[in-house]
Amino acid sequence: MSKIIGAVEIGTSFAKVLIGELSEDKSLNIVGKSFRKNEGLRKGEIIDFRKTASSVHAAIDEAEKMSGTTVDSIYLAQTGSHLRGALLKGSANVASPDGRVTPADLKRAAEEAKRKQPAMGRSYVHHVSMPIQLDGRPVDDPVGMRGQNVELAFWSIDGDESAIRMNLDIAHQYSLEVDDLILSSIASATLVAGPDLRRAGVLVVDIGAGVTDIALYRGGNIAFTGVIPVGGDHLTGDLAMGLRVLEPYAEELKLEYGKAQSDPSDSEQDLWIIGNKTIGDRTISRKAIADIIHVRTVELFEIISKELGELLNPNDLGSGVLLTGGASRLPGIEQLGAKVLGVPVSKANFPSGLGNDLSQAENSTVLGLLHYGLEDHRLPGEKYTNEDAGFFRKVGTFLGI
Amino acid sequence: MNQDILFEEENLQCSSENSYGIRAKVIGVGGAGISLVDGLRFDNFDSVDNLVIDVDMKAVSESLASEKFCFSKRHTRGMGTGGDIALGKRLAEEEKDKIRKQLDGVDLVFLLAGLGGGVGGGVAPVVARLAREHGALVFAFAPLPFSWEKSRHSQAEDCLSELRKYANAVVPLPNDSLLQIGGEDATALECFAEAGRNVSRGISAICNLVFKRGMIDVDFSYLRKVFSARAGRTLFGYGKGNGKDALRESLRDLMLCPMLHMPDVSKAADVLLIFIQGGTSLSMSGLQAVSKEIRDSFKAGEEVVFGAHVDENLGDEVKITVLGATALEPLIKSADVAPVAQQVMELASPPKQSHRSKLENQKNKSQNVKPGANSKSSNKQSKLEQNTFSFMEEKNQRGIFDDLTQRNMYEGEDLDVPAYLRRGVKIAL
Repeated sequence: MSKIIGAVEIGTSFAKVLIGELSEDKSLNIVGKSFRKNEGLRKGEIIDFRKTASSVHAAIDEAEKMSGTTVDSIYLAQTGSHLRGALLKGSANVASPDGRVTPADLKRAAEEAKRKQPAMGRSYVHHVSMPIQLDGRPVDDPVGMRGQNVELAFWSIDGDESAIRMNLDIAHQYSLEVDDLILSSIASATLVAGPDLRRAGVLVVDIGAGVTDIALYRGGNIAFTGVIPVGGDHLTGDLAMGLRVLEPYAEELKLEYGKAQSDPSDSEQDLWIIGNKTIGDRTISRKAIADIIHVRTVELFEIISKELGELLNPNDLGSGVLLTGGASRLPGIEQLGAKVLGVPVSKANFPSGLGNDLSQAENSTVLGLLHYGLEDHRLPGEKYTNEDAGFFRKVGTFLGI
Repeated sequence: MNQDILFEEENLQCSSENSYGIRAKVIGVGGAGISLVDGLRFDNFDSVDNLVIDVDMKAVSESLASEKFCFSKRHTRGMGTGGDIALGKRLAEEEKDKIRKQLDGVDLVFLLAGLGGGVGGGVAPVVARLAREHGALVFAFAPLPFSWEKSRHSQAEDCLSELRKYANAVVPLPNDSLLQIGGEDATALECFAEAGRNVSRGISAICNLVFKRGMIDVDFSYLRKVFSARAGRTLFGYGKGNGKDALRESLRDLMLCPMLHMPDVSKAADVLLIFIQGGTSLSMSGLQAVSKEIRDSFKAGEEVVFGAHVDENLGDEVKITVLGATALEPLIKSADVAPVAQQVMELASPPKQSHRSKLENQKNKSQNVKPGANSKSSNKQSKLEQNTFSFMEEKNQRGIFDDLTQRNMYEGEDLDVPAYLRRGVKIAL
C-alpha cells in the first residue's frame, strides 16, 4: 500500500505545501503542490497568527485538491532565531561483568546526556546523535564490544515554546497531526547534501527571505546548526533605505540587478527605478545597488564564520560550503562567500528528477522535508526507533498532542 | 489672513520689542552639544539665547555661547564624567534648582546633546524634564555614537528613549548616517560639519516661523498645541531647489534627503511642521500644491504647521524644511510622563488617535489643514500632482523592519539596521 506524506514550510515569504505519495517500493511522487504568499512572518517568526494560518490553510487546501487526496499528518519545518543548539554529553560505565557494552549502558548514558532541561518557556526540538565513543574511540555501534566507558553526545536544539507551539497550532487547526518537527536547516541539508558529501564534511547555508539556516556536518554527523536572523529581506530593506525607494521597487531592483560584488563598469550604468516614465522616477547607479548588497552579504558570512568558530575548518569540510535558499541566487555570492569563509563555496545542486519548477534554491527546505519523510517515514507496522526524533515525545506530551 | 489668526489667540503675550515676547533658548549639553551650539549658523534672533552646560570647565569656558553653566566641580574637579551617564544624571538632579533658574521665562528650548557621553546622556533628559515642567516646548537634536561603539551605543539608545519621554520632539542624529549626508567625497570632518548645518537649519526654520513675519505665519501657541505632549519617533528633512521650477525641485530634493532615510526615522507623521522659504517668485498656488504633497507623503493628519516666508536674498532659490513626529509609542507611554505632559495637555486638543489606526481611514478624512494652506485652487492642482511621488508613499511606508520594540541584536549591533550604515560605507546615488 502507498502512504501520503505532507510537507509544510511556513516560510517568511511563502507558505509552502507539498504532498508526496510514497509507494511500497519507496519511490516518491509529488502529487500536490501549493505555494502561498505569506505576510504574517518576520525573520522566520510568526508575528500575525491569523494571516499566517490562513495562508497555510489555503495552501494545504489547494495542494490537497490538486492531489485528489487528503493528508492526515505532515512534516513541519521549524526555524527562527529563538532556536539554540548546544552539545549535551553523557557517559556510563559498562555494567556487565564481562565488560561487553549492552543497550542498557547506552540508555543510561543517553539519560544522563538529556538530563539537562531547557530553561523555562523553552522546549527541545531535536536531539541529534553525535558519534558514540567507547573508551575515547569513536565507534559506530558499541553494543557487544568490550570496554569500560561509553560516551554519548547529542547536538540538542531548543527553542521558544510559544513560537514552536504557534507553528504546531497552525497544523492542528487544520486537524493535521505533525509527524515530525524538523529544523529547516536540517531539512535543506538532507536534500542538497547527500551522505557522501556529509561524510566528507559540508556546511549547508540556506539563505531564505527572513533568516539564514546553517547546518554543519563533520564526518557524516551534524556538528552544528544555527539560525541567523538575516535574510534576503534585509537586502531589500537596505536597498530601500540606501536608494530611498519603497520596498517593492527595492525588491525588483534586487532581483533584476542585484549582485554580491560591484564591477568597475557598474558606476557608468544608470538604472531607472520604475522604468515606465512615471513622473518622479529617477536613475541610480548600478554600483550603489551592488555596494549596499555587498556590505550586507559580507557581514552575513562574517556572522556565519563567528558562529562556527573553530568548526569552520577547511580540513574538516571536504565538500566545502553549499549555498541554497532564495537569496543564494545572488550573482557572485559564492566568490564572496569563499573569500570571507576561506572555504570553497558553491551553489547547491538538487537531486535530479524533481522537475524544473520545483528544483529552485528557495524550495530546498520544503523538498527536504519530503526527502526526510522518504528516508525516515515509518510505513504502517514499522517500528519507530529513531533516536533523532526522540524530541517529539517531549514536545508532544508537553503540548498535549 | 494670517494676521487675523495671530490676534485671535488670547494667550499671546504681545511685547513691544521682539515679535511676540516669546523667549527661546538653545541649550547645548555636554561636549557634542557645546560644539553644535558653537557651530550654529543662523540669522540673529534677539530673543534666542545660547546656553551651554557641562561639567568640563575647559569646554564650557572655551565655548562661544552667551550663557554658560558649569556645575559640580566638587565631584569631578572640573573634568568630565568619563562617559558615566548615571553620574551625569545624579549631578543634574543635584543642581536641579540652578538649571531651573536658567529656564525661567523660556518658552521654547532647543536641546542639543550627544547621547553617547556622560553629560549629554545623563543631563539632557533632566534638562528636558525641567523645561517641560516650566511649560516650555522642547525640541531636541541628539547625535548618537557609531554602532561599532557598542556599549556606548546601547547606552545612548537608553538615553534616547529617556529623552523622548520628556521632549516634544527628538531628532536623533546617528553618527552612522552622517557619512551618507555629506557630498560624495566628503571627509568625516565635513560630514560632522554638515550635520551641524542641518541642526542650524532645523532651529532656524522653527525660529523663523515663530519670530519673523512672512507670507504664511504660524504663531507660537499653535506650534505648541500641535507638538504638545508628543514624543514619538520623528522625521526631519530638508530640500532645496533652484531655477524656474525651484519649488518642484526642492520637493524632489526633500524626498531624497538622507536624514529622512535612516532606520529610526518615522515614515509617517501625526504632527508635521512644514516651512518653505523662497524668493519673491514664490507663488501661493505652488505652495499649496507642494504642501499638500508633503502632507500626503508623510501621511499627515490635521496637525500640520505650515509656514512660508519670502526672502528677497534667496532669488530663485527655494528651501523646504520639515519636522514631524508620530504619536507616542506604547513602550514610551509610561506612567512617569503624565505629570509633565499634563501641564501642556491642557492647552492641547483632546488626544487624537495614533497613526497606526489613522492610516486605514485616512482617505476619508477631511483635507483641512492649517489656516492659510486651505484654498479652493488646491483641488485643481492635486489631480495632476498626486502621482508624482506615488512610488514613495505606498502602503509599505513603515518599512520591513520598522518595529522598534523588536531589535535584532547580535554582539551589540542591531542587524535590522542596514549594514552599509553600520559599516560606514558611503553609497553614492
